[in-house]
Amino acid sequence: MESSRFHGPFVHVREPISRRRFLRGAGIALSLPFLEAMLPRVARAAEATTGKPRRMIGICNNLGLLPDLFFPKNAGRDYALSPYLEMLKEHRRDFTVFSGVSHPNVDGGHPADVCFLTAAPHPGSSSFRNTISLDQFIAEQIGILTRFPSLTLGVNTRTRSLSWTGTGVAIPPEDKAAEVFKQLFLQGTQSQIEAQIQKLDTGRSILDTVAEQAKELQRDVGKRDRERLDQYFSSVRDLEGRLKASRGWEQKPKPVVKVPVPVDPATPAAFMDKIKVIYDLAKLAIETDSTRAITIMLEGVSAPVLEIEGVKITDGYHNLSHHGKSENKRAQLKAIDELHMKLLADLLAALKATREGEESLLDRTMVLYGSNFGDANTHVTTNMPTILAGGGFKHGQHLAFDKMSNYPLPNLFVSMLQRMGIERDKFASSTGTMRGLEMA
Amino acid sequence: MKSRFVFMALAFSSALPAHAAPPFASGAFTEKYCLSCHDSESKSGGLDLTALPFDLDDASNLRRWIAIYDRVQAGEMPPKNKKRPAPDEIKPFIQRLVASLNDYETQKTTREGRALQRRLNGYEYENALRDLLSAPWLQIKDQFPEDGEAYRFNKIGNALDVSHVHMARYISAAEYALREVLAVQFRQPPTTTRRHYARDQKTLTSKFTQNPFNSSPDRQTYPVLEWQAQPKVRSLEEPLSVGEADPTTREKEAVGWVSSNYVTGFTYRWDGFRAPVAGRYRVRFSGYTLWVGPGGISRSFANGADKIGKPRAPQKHLPNFDEISKGRTNEPITVYTRNGVKNRRVGAFDLSPEPAIHDIGEVWLLSGETLVPDASRFYRSRPPDFRNPLMQEDGAPSVAFRWMEVEGPLYDDKTTAGYRLLFGDLPLREAPKGKRGVALADATVEVVSSNPQHDIERLMRRFLQRVYRRPSTENDVRLFTALVNERLKAGLSFSEAMLAGYTAVLASPKFVYLNEQPGRLDDYALATRLSLFLWNSLPDETLLSLAAQGQLNRSQVLREQTDRLLNDPKAGRFVEAFLDYWLDLRKIEDSTPSTTLYNDYYLDDALTEAAVLESQLFFADMLKRDLAARNIVDADYTFLNERLAQHYNVPDVKGTALRPVKLPADSPRGGFMTQASVLKVTANGTTTSPVLRGKWIMERILGYEIPPPPPVAAVEPDIRGAVTIRQQLDKHRADPSCASCHNRMDPPGFALESFDVMGGWRDKYRGVADDKAPVAGRGKNGHKFAFHYGLPVDSAGVLPDGRAFSDIRDFKKLLRGEDETLARNLAKQLVTYGTGAPVRFSDRAAVEKILQNAKPHYGARSLIHQIVQSDLFRSK
Repeated sequence: MESSRFHGPFVHVREPISRRRFLRGAGIALSLPFLEAMLPRVARAAEATTGKPRRMIGICNNLGLLPDLFFPKNAGRDYALSPYLEMLKEHRRDFTVFSGVSHPNVDGGHPADVCFLTAAPHPGSSSFRNTISLDQFIAEQIGILTRFPSLTLGVNTRTRSLSWTGTGVAIPPEDKAAEVFKQLFLQGTQSQIEAQIQKLDTGRSILDTVAEQAKELQRDVGKRDRERLDQYFSSVRDLEGRLKASRGWEQKPKPVVKVPVPVDPATPAAFMDKIKVIYDLAKLAIETDSTRAITIMLEGVSAPVLEIEGVKITDGYHNLSHHGKSENKRAQLKAIDELHMKLLADLLAALKATREGEESLLDRTMVLYGSNFGDANTHVTTNMPTILAGGGFKHGQHLAFDKMSNYPLPNLFVSMLQRMGIERDKFASSTGTMRGLEMA
Repeated sequence: MKSRFVFMALAFSSALPAHAAPPFASGAFTEKYCLSCHDSESKSGGLDLTALPFDLDDASNLRRWIAIYDRVQAGEMPPKNKKRPAPDEIKPFIQRLVASLNDYETQKTTREGRALQRRLNGYEYENALRDLLSAPWLQIKDQFPEDGEAYRFNKIGNALDVSHVHMARYISAAEYALREVLAVQFRQPPTTTRRHYARDQKTLTSKFTQNPFNSSPDRQTYPVLEWQAQPKVRSLEEPLSVGEADPTTREKEAVGWVSSNYVTGFTYRWDGFRAPVAGRYRVRFSGYTLWVGPGGISRSFANGADKIGKPRAPQKHLPNFDEISKGRTNEPITVYTRNGVKNRRVGAFDLSPEPAIHDIGEVWLLSGETLVPDASRFYRSRPPDFRNPLMQEDGAPSVAFRWMEVEGPLYDDKTTAGYRLLFGDLPLREAPKGKRGVALADATVEVVSSNPQHDIERLMRRFLQRVYRRPSTENDVRLFTALVNERLKAGLSFSEAMLAGYTAVLASPKFVYLNEQPGRLDDYALATRLSLFLWNSLPDETLLSLAAQGQLNRSQVLREQTDRLLNDPKAGRFVEAFLDYWLDLRKIEDSTPSTTLYNDYYLDDALTEAAVLESQLFFADMLKRDLAARNIVDADYTFLNERLAQHYNVPDVKGTALRPVKLPADSPRGGFMTQASVLKVTANGTTTSPVLRGKWIMERILGYEIPPPPPVAAVEPDIRGAVTIRQQLDKHRADPSCASCHNRMDPPGFALESFDVMGGWRDKYRGVADDKAPVAGRGKNGHKFAFHYGLPVDSAGVLPDGRAFSDIRDFKKLLRGEDETLARNLAKQLVTYGTGAPVRFSDRAAVEKILQNAKPHYGARSLIHQIVQSDLFRSK
């Protein structure tokens, strides 16, 4: 039994969820661009690689939620659900809501969304430089365990990303669920697989060649210039590792799922429908253990007037968020916010309904939901609305901190890392683990 | 022996690390004039001179000392109400400080150069591949992560990081580009001139009838023969066209419509044409404008399966396609591409009531792209309220098109130059069945070589020579031929292996990085810097051959080349890329006008496009005619078309083409500050903020850096109309600690309060409130205006020096005489953009020299010449 479950060192393949059936000749071609979501160099965290699988999904709604309707009025385990949290009622025991938290020195309004999982300071400044995001940090540690070390997804964006490399470069999000689905689940034919392997090998040969030139160039340059070339050199090595790892995965069959290829809503106006499709996909990726770290940027800033069944929306989403206290605008915004909460409730319910061993998927999946904006109308990035659901914590509480002098949210990231089994006591500007949040 | 010792000591001291320089903080000058406030007790302004080290390697310490210099030099410190030193007391202090700061930076420059090693940014990489491969249609920039910026530009080494993502994208983008070049060589369909009749386009004729998803006549199309309605064709009782049998009638058959595209470049597309291959095409449209009477009929459909529906009663606001008459208006038409990587605007013309043929000239199309004419002034319907805002009592304007004619692909000696660079004269053919080759979209091809070993080296050597911007080394040739050979051994075909080799070259550090050496740039590095500056691309063969001859470093040659580059159409890339960052024009689409406050601007692509073009044409004109720097804030002319002129209240400008227009004497326009593009990127689509706009003008136009604000409660925008942003700000500005900065940065923003989020003039703010009746009218989306006019705009302010202004016209007057300030800022921005490094303390003298040489007008082109000739530009 053991031998069938372990196909190699550190590579854990889940029990098949249904009879294996190969979708042959589906006409897919793995393209190089997607490889950036692929494997890291080594798995370092021994515990994280051997214990039961732990995952995270990080979701940023970059226009935020109306704060007066989101935050509960009182703290503790007996807190009264706020109007928005009412919509998560059935999951009350499975999430913690936070108030009075934010990323220290992360200001600048809209640009702060890219710091949601990095907490890098001053995103609005002209010399801003982002740092590694939580999911990429996790992927570096345990990404080798799954076909995709991480998945970077977006709704209505292929540029604004939650996932950032250690050198401060964005991993462009995938926003077409159908394409990601094919990458995850559609099995290529033998000749397609061979062609893909040859392509990966060609990629590695190319990288070897340019690395050699980089070494030559590094010899005769000053210290600071050399550092820039070093970055090139390590990027080459990084990609090489990923190509090598994906070559290994290429030879293993992909998981089989019983659902059809998702249909991506065609228009950006179907923003909310797109979110549902992406959430479904994220759940499927977790369920098949295709990855253990997913980020989803809900890009509302450039969204047009949303088309929502049964709701009359007259203004662009972004403009609604600048409601300027107009009651009419606030009412429309509320309808959108409530739909956000409902979609989140559905995601949590779907994870809860799926069993993995003794537990539900939700018990092993940390779902972090929040926004860079505490209040879109004022563009403030303090008092970020934040929910952490599932993942193996003692939930069912409202952890309330000082609204005037916020508690550092990166502390939650440290708690999440430790829950992943990654020995780490610092992330970005953290000062410890999240006070009041205990592992289950 | 003694003198030798002294010499040694001196040499040693000049090599001392900077922090060993004289401790200014404990000097007699500071003790006498500074320490009463800036000591460990008072720490006035957060500055404790007794604890401030002189450690310039620490960037913040360096900034601090520069700030001290600036404040003392400007006479701001010690403050006027304190004991002031006599000028001859200040001088030695200043001189010592300047010398130390300069020494520090100069030593560093000698060691490392001003600019840090950097890679090409996305714009440059895309242009480089376009130029090298003679493939101007390539679209690859968006495949890369957005470039980091420092000192506001995407040309600075510090911010141009590389990650595994970039490596993957270099490989995929280069490979994609190389395949496209092979496709152009392989296909070469003959040049044809073909008319694509509107009646043959299913996308157009399928809208003759209504359906459950489109039950509005506003979104319908209709058949028309000159000015004659064709109801039976519309109802599909008669054929869509008389066809080839009756060419005279066929020529007059047209399809008309009354609305603009639902999504930019989407609805009214010519699906019968797809560019067979990437390349150059000449495009003409035949059409005219019409007038459609009122009283149209919409149908109600029971459900999605109901294909016919039931007619409702005729309605006055709907177009009646049985009542067609001659057009009363000229209509602007914008032409977009469709089906490519993204929709691109490729042309514009004015459609007239008399049928006419409009040639939009030659356009670049990607394989598979088609074209869409957009009647840009027309209604863009949006749920839930469907009313054409242009519909009058007796009808609405309409356009009708007869055909689109495409001539192409057009060939010249450049068409296959990309292929020749890769494979010389070797033939390309379809790969025999079962044989490996390069997979294109519709065929697998191979390059035929009778002597692969010979060809590999020959071709690779030539390719490297052209691509590496300086003589390649034998080592390079060996490196890349080895890769090709290794791939051949691994089972790849000759063509595939060569492409792998070329891909590697295009991802290699010698291609991707600038590799400038500290000190004076050699001719090759200078050629690259110059072409990246003025073309945003790599040097062409002329520059490279001048470099090879060692000529480019000669001042006269460098001057001639600067002019040649600026006069070339490729200088348009400089204009676009520079303004994209200097003036943030790349952010033009970042905000959308609010549909409740500004639905007259909402979806108005023609206005936004004209706004950006105005800025670009204006800057290009400044370069072309060497116009004085003062034009940045005050010019008596600008570039307008009808839409933009209407926006600016400038009379008598007709048609869609932008042209130079002399402005009325009292117009607030002229200069970048009051251009719609700038006013849009400095607003958020709903509200404006004098603080944000003021800061922007201070930094981008006048060249003062404003420190970031301390964490204070933000002003909450309120659009209900009862309070203005100025009233909200007044409270904030009353706090003395806020006032010191706000007094400096807000004034330009106050002057600009007269302009709304799209740069339209306003005397009153717009507001939305339930208890106030909205203004009558409908926006471009057909919805009723929801706004009312509220409180008056207050555009008065006081400059920090005490001079008052009442509005923008006044404010502009106060800027007269600031030519040098404007020129200094422009020079600073250009130096940063052109050299990849900011103007540092020790560069100030060089910038002053540039200004000195460009006096008295500081013409834009003169400034560029002076910059290119300066040491700043000619050294790393």
